Amino acid sequence: MASLPKRIIKETERLASDPVPGISAEPHEDNLRYFAVTIEGPEESPYENGVFELELYLPDDYPMEAPKVRFLTRIYHPNIDRLGRICLDVLKNNWSPALQIRTVLLSIQALLASPNPNDPLANDVAEEWIKNEELAISKAKEWTKLYAGKR
Amino acid sequence: MGNTFAKLDENENAFKGRSTSVGSGTMRPNNIAERRRGVSMGLSNNVRSRANSTGSQLMYKKKSTRERDLIKESFAKQLVVRYDESVDGGYLAPHGCYTFEKLDYDPSLVRSLITARKLAPFYIPLQDFDESWTRDELIKIVDGLPLHAAVNENPEEFEDIPIGNLKRQNFDELIDKSLSKKEQRKQRSKIFKARLHRKRIMWQEQENVAFLEQKLESKREPNPSKRNLALPSPDLNHTIYKKGIECPICFLYYPEPLNYSRCCLQPICTECFVQIKRGDPHFPHEEVDPTKPVTSDDEKDPNLLISEPASCAYCATPNFGITYQPPTNRKTGIGGMPPGSYKAPRDDEINVNDGSDSEEGPRTPSKSPEDPEVVTSDMIRPDWKAKLDKERLRLARRSANATAIHVSNQLVDPDHPSRRDSNTDSGPTPTTARSQRLVPNPMAELENQMVEQAIRLSLVDEEERKSSQRHR
Ligand SMILES: [Zn+2]
Ligand SMILES: [Zn+2]
Repeated sequence: MASLPKRIIKETERLASDPVPGISAEPHEDNLRYFAVTIEGPEESPYENGVFELELYLPDDYPMEAPKVRFLTRIYHPNIDRLGRICLDVLKNNWSPALQIRTVLLSIQALLASPNPNDPLANDVAEEWIKNEELAISKAKEWTKLYAGKR
Repeated sequence: MGNTFAKLDENENAFKGRSTSVGSGTMRPNNIAERRRGVSMGLSNNVRSRANSTGSQLMYKKKSTRERDLIKESFAKQLVVRYDESVDGGYLAPHGCYTFEKLDYDPSLVRSLITARKLAPFYIPLQDFDESWTRDELIKIVDGLPLHAAVNENPEEFEDIPIGNLKRQNFDELIDKSLSKKEQRKQRSKIFKARLHRKRIMWQEQENVAFLEQKLESKREPNPSKRNLALPSPDLNHTIYKKGIECPICFLYYPEPLNYSRCCLQPICTECFVQIKRGDPHFPHEEVDPTKPVTSDDEKDPNLLISEPASCAYCATPNFGITYQPPTNRKTGIGGMPPGSYKAPRDDEINVNDGSDSEEGPRTPSKSPEDPEVVTSDMIRPDWKAKLDKERLRLARRSANATAIHVSNQLVDPDHPSRRDSNTDSGPTPTTARSQRLVPNPMAELENQMVEQAIRLSLVDEEERKSSQRHR
């Protein structure tokens, strides 16, 4: 097993010493490339008061390759599918090695604050979102209460 | 963004479509003067024009397996960090923050760029830097740094692969002759890669040991003039490491000056710079129109396949490139004084110098990718065009094969329109163009296409092999 690159060690340290408000990320004891993440739903979004669990994995080629991130908590969102996969440009074509775990998680938090049904991953959700935004938002709130309640 | 990491299989492509410079890179001149000559020769070739022209000239020229192996070995040899090949306190090959398999740039081009001081050398990085270190502490720490980072000796990929006697070039006896020819080729390629990995570790280790021995010997030698002058003087180590900078991509600490992105003037170490490259060729992203069926990639015109230059890691400006302002406080190693003779200017001289020193960062405003001072990602991987052409060819063969199957169906059916109507003059789409060609001699054409199919199948097979390797 190759040793952990300095970059990952330093990112982990800096996440701990200078945490992002509303976001936590802790490496797994047995695998320092695997992080347990929580993101608080942004205020004034349908996800407000929810705490969402995610998993984040840094592939071997990180930072030349994007981290792999997935929601574990169910969420009603046009850009997040039933398996928790996230449609976010910085996780795909717009990844850059100058981005970090911190910036990725901030982008995901921003995605919760502004869902984008025109670039959907969960087509059914996006459709409902476009057809009847009010209904979709109330459903998102309901799911947040149901699955992402603070414990 | 198109910044993807080097992939193992692309190492192979990197050796195709290259011109004659390959062989010359293996030679290791015995003294600095000779080496300098070699360097200036390399540069007279004009790195930029080579980068633009080596493209695809040789890509279809079939090389023997043995020739290809030798080219690969000579590339790998140029990636060995050698303590007596230094420029301003850094070296001509990467320290090893990224694995061997990820180094797929053209090493002879990069070496020329470093010795021409158009690209920062590969420095040995410090994991951390503490400003409270005294001069002696810093010198001691730098003195203890290895020439190359530790390498994974047994990557999973090469587990259980026999390597035989590395001293002998021929390893045919390791190949299982009871396998099919195709399986034998696969096995041969695996063994070659495992052997090369081993050899690279060996070559680098020899160099590490030589570096260490020379350092010990120098310490024992009381007469400074008799010490090995290829080793950096304590003054040089102190000068370069006392004021460094953290690379924003690998988070390692390097001597100044680093390279700076041409567009937004952000620092990047050379080791990270050589990792950034074009993404794989792909079809342009189309706006998805739900009313139309999705065209599969197989049906698209291979000529539409594109590959985009890497974008800046920091500001996403297309066509990533850097500029480099060589240091003003030292010129050592190749093209300068022996690193062992370097003496730092006295304190009062440093103060005079400080205002005009370039080491505070880039002095120049952003530059276009065509600027002669800029080194772009494409320049150090001149084979990108050949790769694109190769991928287009592969797709063209694949669709030719699809047509072959289509044609064989037509031949069976005597009433098929293409057998009766020999003067169809329809649009210039690739499919109709192909069926028109059939008409004069369908059998010959079919035969051609069958051959193409065989080629395609072996290509597909090769692709599968590579991807299974990549994902293992
Ligand atoms: Zn770096
Ligand atoms: Zn930039």
